[in-house]
Amino acid sequence: MLLGVVARLHPSSDTAAGRSKAWTDPQTTAGRREPSANALTPIPSATSPISCYTSPSLVSWGRQVRIAVTRYALSADARIAYQAVGHGSLDLVLVPGFPSNLEILWEDPDYGRLVRRLSAFARLILVEPRGSGLSDGLDPRAPPDPRARVDDIRAVMDAAGCGRAALLGASDGAAQALLFAATYPERTRALVLCGGYASFADAVADARRLRAQAEAGEVAWGTGATLARLAPGRADDRAFAEWWGRLERLSASPTAALTQMRAAAAIDVRGALPAVAAPVLILHRSDDAHVRVEAGRQLARALKEARLVELPGREHPVWLGDVDAVADVAEEFLTGERSVARGDRVLAALLVARVVGTSGSQLAAGREERMDLFREAVAKIAARHGGDARWAGAERIDALFSGAARAASCAVALRETANSLGLAISQGIHVGEIDPAREPLAGEALEVAEKIAASTRQAEILLTKLASELVSGSGLQFRDRGSIAVEGLREPLAVVALAAERHLEPINRGKAHAADLGVLSAREREVLGLVAEGLSNPHIAVQLGLSEHTVKRHVANILLKLDMPTRAAAAGLVARRAAQ
Amino acid sequence: MLTKTNKVTGAGIKRAIEARDGRALASFYADNAVTRIVDRNNPPSKPREIKGRGAISTFWDDICGRTMTHKVDVTLADGDQMAFTQACTYPDGAKVFCIALLKLEDGLIVDQTVVQAWDE
Repeated sequence: MLLGVVARLHPSSDTAAGRSKAWTDPQTTAGRREPSANALTPIPSATSPISCYTSPSLVSWGRQVRIAVTRYALSADARIAYQAVGHGSLDLVLVPGFPSNLEILWEDPDYGRLVRRLSAFARLILVEPRGSGLSDGLDPRAPPDPRARVDDIRAVMDAAGCGRAALLGASDGAAQALLFAATYPERTRALVLCGGYASFADAVADARRLRAQAEAGEVAWGTGATLARLAPGRADDRAFAEWWGRLERLSASPTAALTQMRAAAAIDVRGALPAVAAPVLILHRSDDAHVRVEAGRQLARALKEARLVELPGREHPVWLGDVDAVADVAEEFLTGERSVARGDRVLAALLVARVVGTSGSQLAAGREERMDLFREAVAKIAARHGGDARWAGAERIDALFSGAARAASCAVALRETANSLGLAISQGIHVGEIDPAREPLAGEALEVAEKIAASTRQAEILLTKLASELVSGSGLQFRDRGSIAVEGLREPLAVVALAAERHLEPINRGKAHAADLGVLSAREREVLGLVAEGLSNPHIAVQLGLSEHTVKRHVANILLKLDMPTRAAAAGLVARRAAQ
Repeated sequence: MLTKTNKVTGAGIKRAIEARDGRALASFYADNAVTRIVDRNNPPSKPREIKGRGAISTFWDDICGRTMTHKVDVTLADGDQMAFTQACTYPDGAKVFCIALLKLEDGLIVDQTVVQAWDE
């Protein structure tokens, strides 16, 4: 059966500042959403997106966030909720800490991002631990049973068809993952432990502190009070703290929370550590506010095959703070390669330069020697123009700049250097989005720049019209060079060549000299005089007591009558007349 | 590294996938084969690429390690090209559907593109 997917608009931003701006307690607008999906009943009306913003203007920040279908596994007599996201060939089971509610967590942009990153390379199976959120509860009278939790993970894996999986245990979930690995080594491929510990009493809180926490929890559960303990950096964010309170309430009642706390307090899996054979990655934030980093170090010492990575930050929940750093390290550990996070494309000016031959055969040094000198010079020249140049092969340079004028100036400097070394280079410039972290650089925009470079005449610097239009005001001038066809683009691209000299007047001066100021009206001459002094239209309007609109019309008429392309050209004409 | 290779046939692929036989599947690939996967998490401009028979073999071992049912329904062959569809179901009922296009050289897969969608 095909199950529906609940689509919602959700604020999301990759920056902390954006996050705090965009964060709005969804409870106030979207209402309390009860867990409703299960594996047997399709979710009704799954297609219409629901906005959870109070301010419609924030919608533009948003992107659609999906909530995966919740399914239930049967573990002994308890139902354990889980969600499967993504479809990588590797199974990754995420066992979270407390509080947790698999459906509410999706509302947090950081959580969504972590899930997105992990599910890009794995089939991510999100487990709701027993006693939390959507799963069956714990018996408050029964003593905590860590084995039952291990069986819960196995039951979820069975239901989801996992043979061997990597487990990501966060906070209390780390101990469960360790116990699972010790119990079912044949089903454990690897472990990633985030903010984990082997013994609660040892690493988190002694009996006295625990009693104080339990007492405080009894009174304040559901108000978001645990946020100050788990992620103090976010406690001042009122909207987030309110949402956190909602997460607490929807993850457990006060009694259930106390039972969870007691279960966590009883955690001591130190005895199981020698039986863990799978490779383990231990991630611990160096200033973890809840579980000291020393707990991670102890784990690393006690485990056979463990690698410890300390990440900056003090958030205890793995899905808060810099989740990209977590995903980067975890992905590299689990797959052997680090992927570049999506959305890292930036707008850049791209320069492709190709050494196409030699121009000065009379030079004594051999070509290779001259090429070596050129290679040495390229990086420096690019850096001087604020760019980042990389050699793509022996004869080709790809360079990135923050602006098209910088790329063009760099191209001029490269041409001069190449000339002095007796080398001929052809260069093309385009602007477009590119992922700067990618090695080697690649993408459609770069292909366009390369295509243009390939079509240049010797020593010429060609730009797409688009790139040339971005440099207005830079003093650079261009000549039309028609258009070229680029594979994959529907229309041919208009290209221009960088003019050899820089000047502020138009290149065709003849007409300007012929122009007669006598064709202008007295008012127009007055306006032109002020234009020549460098005044803007609003300034001229004030000076002459006219509306800006009228000034614009005057300027347009002046240019028309004098057959001038720009006001700068008209100003130049006045200046020359004055000099004559 | 596996050294044994077997020429690909539609029936061979069907048998190996439906029997979750990762080793047999890996034997259909040339040493330098590339498998490209396009799905909701790996868009066409950035497909997930699995390069080389060793990595592809691990990939199939992972897939075959899942207790799910696979059904290969349509297999088409045209010279050095082949295509098949694969419908899979997890024990919890979640379904996956894939279409794979293969390019062959000397009877072995050198290039494979998989487009897949699943219940989530």
